[in-house]
Formats: sequence, structure tokens, C-alpha cells
Amino acid sequence: MSTPTTGPDGLEGRDPRTVAVLGAGTMGSGIAVVMARALHRTILFDVDEANLQRGLDTVHGFFDKSVERGKLTAPLAAAAKASLVGTTDLADLAASDVVVEAVYEDLALKKELFGALDDLVPDTTLFHTNTSTLSVTGIASGSRLPERVVGTHYCNPAPLMKLVEVADGRHTASWARAATIDFLESLGKTTVVTKDRPGFIVNRFLIPWENSCIRALESGLGTKESIDAAVLGALGHPMGPFRLLDIVGMDIHQQVATRLYEQLRDPRFFPPPMVERMVAAGDLGRKTGRGFYDYDDTRLFGS
Amino acid sequence: MTTTTTELRHVGVLGLGTMGAGIAQVLAASGRDVTVLEQDGARIAAGRARLEASLDRDVARGRTTEAERAAVLERVWCTSSLVDLAPVDLVVESVSEDLAVKRAVLDRVAATVAPDVPIVTNTSALSVTELATGLPGPERFAGLHFFNPAPAMRTVEVVPGLRTTPELVERLVALVESLADKIAVVVKDRPGFLVNSLLLPYLNDVVQELDDDLATAEDIDVALQLGLGYRTGPLAMLDLIGLDVHLQATTALHAATADPRYAPPPLLRQMVADGRLGDKSGDGFRTHPSPAASPRPVSPHDRSPA
Repeated sequence: MSTPTTGPDGLEGRDPRTVAVLGAGTMGSGIAVVMARALHRTILFDVDEANLQRGLDTVHGFFDKSVERGKLTAPLAAAAKASLVGTTDLADLAASDVVVEAVYEDLALKKELFGALDDLVPDTTLFHTNTSTLSVTGIASGSRLPERVVGTHYCNPAPLMKLVEVADGRHTASWARAATIDFLESLGKTTVVTKDRPGFIVNRFLIPWENSCIRALESGLGTKESIDAAVLGALGHPMGPFRLLDIVGMDIHQQVATRLYEQLRDPRFFPPPMVERMVAAGDLGRKTGRGFYDYDDTRLFGS
Repeated sequence: MTTTTTELRHVGVLGLGTMGAGIAQVLAASGRDVTVLEQDGARIAAGRARLEASLDRDVARGRTTEAERAAVLERVWCTSSLVDLAPVDLVVESVSEDLAVKRAVLDRVAATVAPDVPIVTNTSALSVTELATGLPGPERFAGLHFFNPAPAMRTVEVVPGLRTTPELVERLVALVESLADKIAVVVKDRPGFLVNSLLLPYLNDVVQELDDDLATAEDIDVALQLGLGYRTGPLAMLDLIGLDVHLQATTALHAATADPRYAPPPLLRQMVADGRLGDKSGDGFRTHPSPAASPRPVSPHDRSPA
């Protein structure tokens, strides 16, 4: 696509692409960090000017923190920041080699964006969707060229988590999948290949797991403390299920679980009644200061 | 690391298999004297070899010292004679996971030790209350469930049966807390107690999805390790547990609950029938025979990502 160039500090030989990231929310700005840190020409797009500015600030803030913590040199951080621009105009994405869609989990919106981009970008541009609960095939149907659409599901926080789940839609071409895996691995990500099925791998197993832990709590099998402690000490998990739910947010758990349940009609995915009660009470987890546990500090991941 | 304790100083352990050896090690490391009852000299030799190998690993990893290793071995005394258990303060039963076998051993042991000596079972799949029935003094009986490998896993489930005294529960919690780095979790006597009631359906679910071609065994493990920070992926965990052990446990829980989440998935049964039991047979979901041998696919539909 482009010729290798010489960049600062150890990035010689990189092959900078133009990468558009759609949606400046948590996942979109996290993915923008990943792209800009690899010195790809990164364009963060959001329809809302305020959202966009918040997203750009998040990315810059991440790089500043990385320098403070000695994870990134100041020149590299400056180069990364310089490789990022923001826009609210889809037309500015015309030169994109890769588009990563990370807007709201709204099928119509995602399809519409891919359809609109079809008319702006070259036919060889890869379309990646970061959907976690919708079908890759469904989203791909918004493009005239569904063969170029690949599911690439990042984990939150995207800049820190190495895993990306890669899933083909029904019409994804093998070239698009292969190019996607090469691209993700060049970013330092570890890819796993899965199917376009609800929840891919991680959420497919996480959601029933968390639900079963909530049911165990509801049925008096243990307390939140004893279940967290037992899981931590017996299974080698980094944190117990209720600490994790407090970080994820009960609203997010409810949303993901419900969407998976709607597609699978498997009761293991349905959020137990306690979830709805907690959401109604505003006990969403760390972000509201109270979930299963109480928190003095509502910041996540030290950001 | 030697902890002195006046409570339950001398423990009888029934069975020196994987779990029995691990439990004997943990108890001896806390400064207690341990008398292990095994069937015969051959089983004692195999069990001691297991115990020594486990301690060697701990020394190699810097978890314990040579001196402590020697002290632990000195505190574990093995016998095949039931009367040697007569002086113990506590009995921990860890024989094979078979109701009839456990009952037979427990009957004989209960008649040998003093009537107020607590007897606990390390069963993972049988009901504590059911095992207690028929024993003289069921109120002195409870579950004390260690996880494999017992020296490494912190959680120990304390499981009161219907008649277990609250005082015994307290003593067992105190016992667990006197062991290095262990945490006691008091749970109900329900099939699978707490951890296995959550873990087994999840492992079955993973096996079924593997058979349903969701991803390769390696990719499923990598996704859950990197995505959720699990130390071990579920399929490597099954290889470690032993597919036969998991099949037996989940079959027992299925029988006890009629809950379809415990029904053993067909691929699990096939693997066990084929002698592919995981690490111990050198062939499982993630463990494979050396490349010299002809590789067998994990499932008939197995394929590598392009």
C-alpha cells in the first residue's frame, strides 16, 4: 500500500497506513490509541463534535500517562499524537486503508456507515467492525462489498489488552481475513479466529459464567465475598466475578447478556433478576461508586 | 513456615493419591504430624514418590527450602494398618470418589478413632450429609474440600452436613486459616458445593463449543487467558484435571441434579473412551503426543486458522 519509511525510535521499516476509527467512545478512542501508537495515520471520526473532542483528549491523555509511567518516550508520544487527527466529516476518511467501526451497538447505524463509506473509499479498503453482540454478517450487509468486512473484537481497555477476536461474516473473503490478521499482529495484538456467533469466544463464556455466579449469590450458595474469594483461590482467575462485574458495569452486563439471550434463547445468557434490580437502583459498579461493593473512587484503570 | 498449633495436631489422612498426597503435604507443612493410611506397600511407595516430587518442585521454584522439605517428609508417616490411626485428632478422607468405597473406609475408621474425633471428607461430588449417615456421630462429620494441586490452590471449602455442629465448622475454618496461604470458604452441601457447581458447567460448555467448531482448542484457551486474565485456559485445565476425573465428577453432578448443564458432552465421553485423558496420558485437548507420533486431531472437525 505504501512504502516503508523511517520513523522515530525503533519504528523504522513500519508501513504506515491510513486508519479511520469510527466512534470516539471508550472503545473507539482506545482503538485510536492502538493505531496512533503504531504511527498509522489515524483519523478518529464521530458525528458529535463534543464526543470527538473528548475522544481526542482521551487519546492524548493516554499518551501523556504512558510517558509519565516510562512506557513511551516523549518523542514517540509526540509522534503518536501527531499521527492522530479528528473529524466529524465522513468525507475526510476517503484515503483510508482500514476502517475500524466502533460506534454504538446499533445495527442500522453500523450498516449505514459502511454503506456510506463504500462511496468514499477504494474497494480494497478493509472494513473492521468491533461489534461485541451483533452479527458480523448483518453489519457487512450494509456494504456493497461484504467480502471486505471482518469482525475484529477488541477487549477493553484496547490499548492494554492484547487479544483481538477475529470473525468472518458469511461473505468475508479469505484475503480480507488474512490481511486483517497480518495487520492486527503488526500492531502487537494476539489474534484468535472464531465464528460469527453471538458473543464470539470471550463473551460466549463470560456471560453465562457471570450469570451463574450471580445466581449462586441469589440462591444463598455463598456471599459476594466468599464467592469472589473461592473463585480467586481455586481457579486462577485474576479477580472474582463480582469485582469484575463492578468494573464492567451492571448496565453493560445487562445489555450484553440480554442481546446474547435475544439471539440464542438460551436461559444461561439471561441476566438474573438481581441485575435488573441493581441497574434500577443505580448500583452499576465502580463508575457509580456502588455495585456489589462500595467504592470511594469511581475512576477506572487509573485513567 | 512452620506454624505451631495446639489444635488438631495429629491428622490421619486416608489415601495417598494426588489429592491425599497434596493434603498431607499442606498439613505437614503447617507443623502437624500426619499419619497416612494406604492399602499396601506399593501404594504407599507411589504416594510418597508423589509427595517427594511435589516438594522437589516447590524447592526448585523457591517456594520451600531443603530443610523444610525434609521436615515435611519426616512429619508424614505412612501405614497400611488401621490401628495406627487410633491416636489422631482429625481424619481427612481422600480415597477414590466412590460412595461404597468411601463408606467402607469411613465405617472402619470411625470405629477406630475416638468418638469425638472429627472426620472430614475431601469428596468433590458426593453429598457430605449422605456420607455422614450411618456413621456413629454424624455431627462430627463435615466436608473439607481442597482443590488440585492442594499445595498451590488457596481455596478450601468447608462443608457442613445437615447434622454437623457449628463448633466443628468453626474449628475447621480455624484449621484452614492455620495453613499457609489458605482461605476457608463455608459453603452448603449442594452438589458440587460452590466452586465445582460453577466450574463444571463452564468446562462442559467449552468442550461442547469446541466440538461445535467455535474455534480451535488453542484459540479458545488463548482468548480466555488474554481476554479475561485466566491463568489457565479451560481446555488446558481439563487436561490437567484429567478428562476421566472431570467426566466422573460431572456425571455424578448430573445424576444428583438432573441439571442438563452437567450432562457430559459427547466429545468428552469420546476422548475418555479413546484413552485420551489429558496430561497423565500425554494426549488430551491441548496436550499431544510427541510430533514423531502421528498427530490425531482434537476433534474430527478440527482445523487450524488459515
